[in-house]
Amino acid sequence: MNTRFFDWIWHVRDSIDLPAGQSHDEAMARLEPLFHERGTTYERFGNSLSFGKKGQPAQDKMSVYDRGELLVETHAGGSRLRYHLVSRAFLYCFLAPLLFLALAQVNNAISHYERAKAEAAGETETDKDKDEAIELPQSSIDKFLGAPTPEIPGEDKDEDKQIGPSPTPAYVFAGIFVVLFIAGRILEPYLVKRLFRRRLFGLDEDATPASATPTAA
Amino acid sequence: MTIGWENLPKVEGGPFKRAFFRWFQPVMLVALIAFWYYAPNDWAVASTAITLGIGFKIFLLGLEWVNPRFKSWQLTWKEFAVDLFYVGMGYTIVRTLSSYVGDDVIIGAVQSAFAWEKFAWFMTMPLLLQAFLISFMFDFGQYWMHRGMHNWYPLWLTHAPHHYITQLNINKGAVGNPIELFLIGLGVGGFFDFLPRAFLLAGSLGLAVSIYQHINVRFDPPNWWRTIFNTTEHHSVHHSQDYEASRSNYSATWIFIDRMFGTAVDGEAEALGMEGGRSMSIKETMHFPFTEGWKSIKERFQRRNLPAVPAE
Repeated sequence: MNTRFFDWIWHVRDSIDLPAGQSHDEAMARLEPLFHERGTTYERFGNSLSFGKKGQPAQDKMSVYDRGELLVETHAGGSRLRYHLVSRAFLYCFLAPLLFLALAQVNNAISHYERAKAEAAGETETDKDKDEAIELPQSSIDKFLGAPTPEIPGEDKDEDKQIGPSPTPAYVFAGIFVVLFIAGRILEPYLVKRLFRRRLFGLDEDATPASATPTAA
Repeated sequence: MTIGWENLPKVEGGPFKRAFFRWFQPVMLVALIAFWYYAPNDWAVASTAITLGIGFKIFLLGLEWVNPRFKSWQLTWKEFAVDLFYVGMGYTIVRTLSSYVGDDVIIGAVQSAFAWEKFAWFMTMPLLLQAFLISFMFDFGQYWMHRGMHNWYPLWLTHAPHHYITQLNINKGAVGNPIELFLIGLGVGGFFDFLPRAFLLAGSLGLAVSIYQHINVRFDPPNWWRTIFNTTEHHSVHHSQDYEASRSNYSATWIFIDRMFGTAVDGEAEALGMEGGRSMSIKETMHFPFTEGWKSIKERFQRRNLPAVPAE
């Protein structure tokens, strides 16, 4: 089975043309400092570099990726950097909606059970008349300042009151993670391509590893 | 790490920007208090508080981009996704569990056997005093729970994952093992939800003060604010890589509780985390209290079973 039909979810493959006349040694020398980060190990063999990351800090500019390979290919028309990066974060973000949908179903099941239990016990009938008859005290200062008169919390006002945990937050988070995956899968490959391009063309102002040198302690 | 308010960097920019980031926190606090004080009874409900809270968080996320405290704390897509995962867990699993085995159960049982008139004396006090007392009682409990987490190993195991964060952002308060989130949420504050307005006013103190504990915004509030309330500066010291400094600033809202017990440290730190800034994955966060606890128990029993070495 060709996994490329679905592994795009967590694999990023792309390429960048090197500046005219740039050798693979020079290209790799420019990119190498990106891998001098805490939690990152890498190996360089001539025109290729492979790396792995474990416990990478948030300050690592490539923290979203866990491993990958970079390769400089030379053709008659010039040289090209090809790269293949793998991100578990993309995969987990893609799967997160399923987890939240499952949690929504668990909450639905608990709610059905609670509703059935309440109906069996005849608890849907409320004794709100008893509560409403009570007049709550209010401080004279609050009366003077115009705060609304206190009331007993208006529970049981809705006939279709939620019994048991609500599935709504889980549905909302499932939706949020769908949007988040789409946004991240577009944004992060763009950012890493821009990072590589800036390094290769010498446009990156901040060339020091972000997490290797804490700025305060 | 920087100690002393006078040594912290100031907000840079024009007069409007400087005034905005100096007075934003006090103005928002007054605005929220005024809202809950005068809101009609139909508005003074939990769903309004949740909507306000979400809206305010989105606004604060925007502020993190406008005026970050540290560039190294800038929110990335991955950090945002991970933070939201923990927030999602808080809204789903932790909330469901809390409703069955947490303080909600005890409070609900007490409230169902509760005679309203017995609490009339509390309700005759001015609303703001009621709100302060509810907030103070909750924070006082939280102070000791949090301090206990830093001083008693079994509790520390639940809290430690939260200290592996290497930056502060608005949703970082939710990052941690669910057991810790459950424990830190325990408190008597929930008992007062039968006083909706005072309870919501107390909650607004949390929204307008403790929400800033984990935020990457360079505020420059007046010193009286920092004397009374917990701030992101205080909390960055609490999260610093320096062990001694991290044993400070335990309260969530009222930093004067730390001042009362001598645990307040005024300052800020940029380098945060544990083990020199190692990041902890979601998987490790979930199993850390159990696996580390198991390791500790095994080590203790192995030490006990070591044969005694005769003195030479």
